[in-house]
Amino acid sequence: MDNIYSLYKCRVLRVYDLTDDVKLFLFRFENPDIAESWTFIPGQFVQLDIPGLGEVPISICSSPMRKGFFELCIKKIGRVTDKIHELKPGDFVGVRGPYGNGFPITEFEDNDLLLIAAGIGMAPLRSVFMYALDNRWKFGNITVINSAKFGKTLLFKKELEAMRDMAEAENIRIIQTVTRDPDWPGRVGRAQEHIKYANTKPEDAYVCVCGPPQIYNDVFQTLIKNSYDPRRIYVTLERRMKCGVGKCGHCIAGSSTFLKYICVDGPVFGYYDIISTPGLI
Amino acid sequence: MRYVKITNEKIYDFLERLKNYGKLYAPVKISDKFYDRKEIEDVREIAFEYIRTLMPAKKYFVSPTEKMFEIDIEKGEYKETLENIEPFVIFGMHACEIVGLRILDGVYLDKYPDIYYKRKRDAGIIVGLSCLPDEYCFCNLTRTDFVDVGFDLFLHELPDGYLVRVGSPNGHKIVDENTDLFEEVDKNDIDAFRAFEEKRQEMFKWEGSFDNMRYILELTMEDEVWDEEVEKCFGCGNCTNTCPTCRCYDVQDIPDIDGKKAKRIRFWDSCQFRGHGLVAGGHNFRGTKRDRFLNRYICKNAYFYGLGTSYCVGCGNCTYFCPANIDYLKNLMKIRSMTEVKNG
Repeated sequence: MDNIYSLYKCRVLRVYDLTDDVKLFLFRFENPDIAESWTFIPGQFVQLDIPGLGEVPISICSSPMRKGFFELCIKKIGRVTDKIHELKPGDFVGVRGPYGNGFPITEFEDNDLLLIAAGIGMAPLRSVFMYALDNRWKFGNITVINSAKFGKTLLFKKELEAMRDMAEAENIRIIQTVTRDPDWPGRVGRAQEHIKYANTKPEDAYVCVCGPPQIYNDVFQTLIKNSYDPRRIYVTLERRMKCGVGKCGHCIAGSSTFLKYICVDGPVFGYYDIISTPGLI
Repeated sequence: MRYVKITNEKIYDFLERLKNYGKLYAPVKISDKFYDRKEIEDVREIAFEYIRTLMPAKKYFVSPTEKMFEIDIEKGEYKETLENIEPFVIFGMHACEIVGLRILDGVYLDKYPDIYYKRKRDAGIIVGLSCLPDEYCFCNLTRTDFVDVGFDLFLHELPDGYLVRVGSPNGHKIVDENTDLFEEVDKNDIDAFRAFEEKRQEMFKWEGSFDNMRYILELTMEDEVWDEEVEKCFGCGNCTNTCPTCRCYDVQDIPDIDGKKAKRIRFWDSCQFRGHGLVAGGHNFRGTKRDRFLNRYICKNAYFYGLGTSYCVGCGNCTYFCPANIDYLKNLMKIRSMTEVKNG
């Protein structure tokens, strides 16, 4: 029997500074068989391991269409991520996964797609966005709302800016907004204030939301006020996780009628699950 | 199901023979008040009358500490450490603990089977033993007072011996290899078995069912009734350690002194500890004592799909071993306004 906690060896190929404390890492699997067969669904996560320090759960932020490679966007915020930030191209790490349910992307097909991110929340949604770009003909109009406190903390700011021309040709709207930056030349205000500028048809759109827990209520209310279908709103959550496979219990959340392991039953949950379950967000 | 009988004269022979199938663990009396399970040398020290042990039998399957990997930090290599596991026999598990073990099976042997658990589970033979409830027991309310599967043999007390239910191929094998110890069950035995079960049901302090408890609990989570109980709690984690179905673990890498190698170990954790819900960056998903206190009630009363029961098996250990005298059952009764008291 395989050991579910065994790690695949991965090589760091590229390290890119997204902001002062967030880096984007490109990884490749060392084992050709794994590289060939490994795949994931946008919204899933991996356990990334630094030998001798431990593992951290990180959402995959690249498209699953590129075989054998994947990207992780990691904020320097604790013991393990401090060390991850010291990684250089050529270094090795351990990875296991992918884990979690991911977004129901096949259900999204033939529909419009509205992605709403705040802060580090852009990481898992970038995977959905990249997947949609790689399969452009499967989706209708797409809008990405990327928000942060300051211009310099907007994740993937340059990448999204660089897409502007292509986006126009492809019926994609990219909205980047900041809340506390007087020097920012672009749009200001919270993510939900820009929902009205999306090119997505509310009755025909799936919505993915990710950000700090405080944003959800306002985003939900604005979406519903703008006639988006609550049954088509999805969010992805974070928790402390040690195993990623529904064993260690740290990510257990919810209430006695809806007790969930975020790592296997989530991290993606529908709007109605969220509002009917105390403790999920 | 296959039923056989063993008489009191032969029970110690039987226990002695069980040693042929692996290391024998059974409850023994360790002080005036307490029992614990340990490896048995002399089968006559086994305490048949025990109700609960200090540690539930889960310790034989989910070790309090367990080495998972040896890590070469410099090379970035991991070697799984699968310790050698010898066959063992656990004698005297009560119905609640066997259900508890099945709940652990549901968690540890789901679509991501845990090899460390699986190897111990495969090596263990379970011999159940009937029991009479004390004032802490409420397995009748949680519908875990009787088990159909999850054991190899189950012994039910009769006046002159035990009625044995055979629950697995391993159980059949033990019976078949020791036919000199067993005899047929006759009508008197069946009457005695029935009488024992009736007497047992009479002895439970409460009657009714906890099936709707999770809804009532969810609806009363904000209630003031919890405030005083939360205040009493020390957050020590005794309740989760002694719970047959609590299974949270933490993982740590322990480096050697030269920093070149490390051991990845996992060890029991408790949702009653502050670090349980703490994530990098400082946010705590269970930041207050109330969050942590209620988390256990929520988790234990949630529905376990695999068995159609709650995660709580009604053993009463958490109440019995609580140093702050927090009564889990009474708290649930309070929010449920349950008044079906028979003997209490």
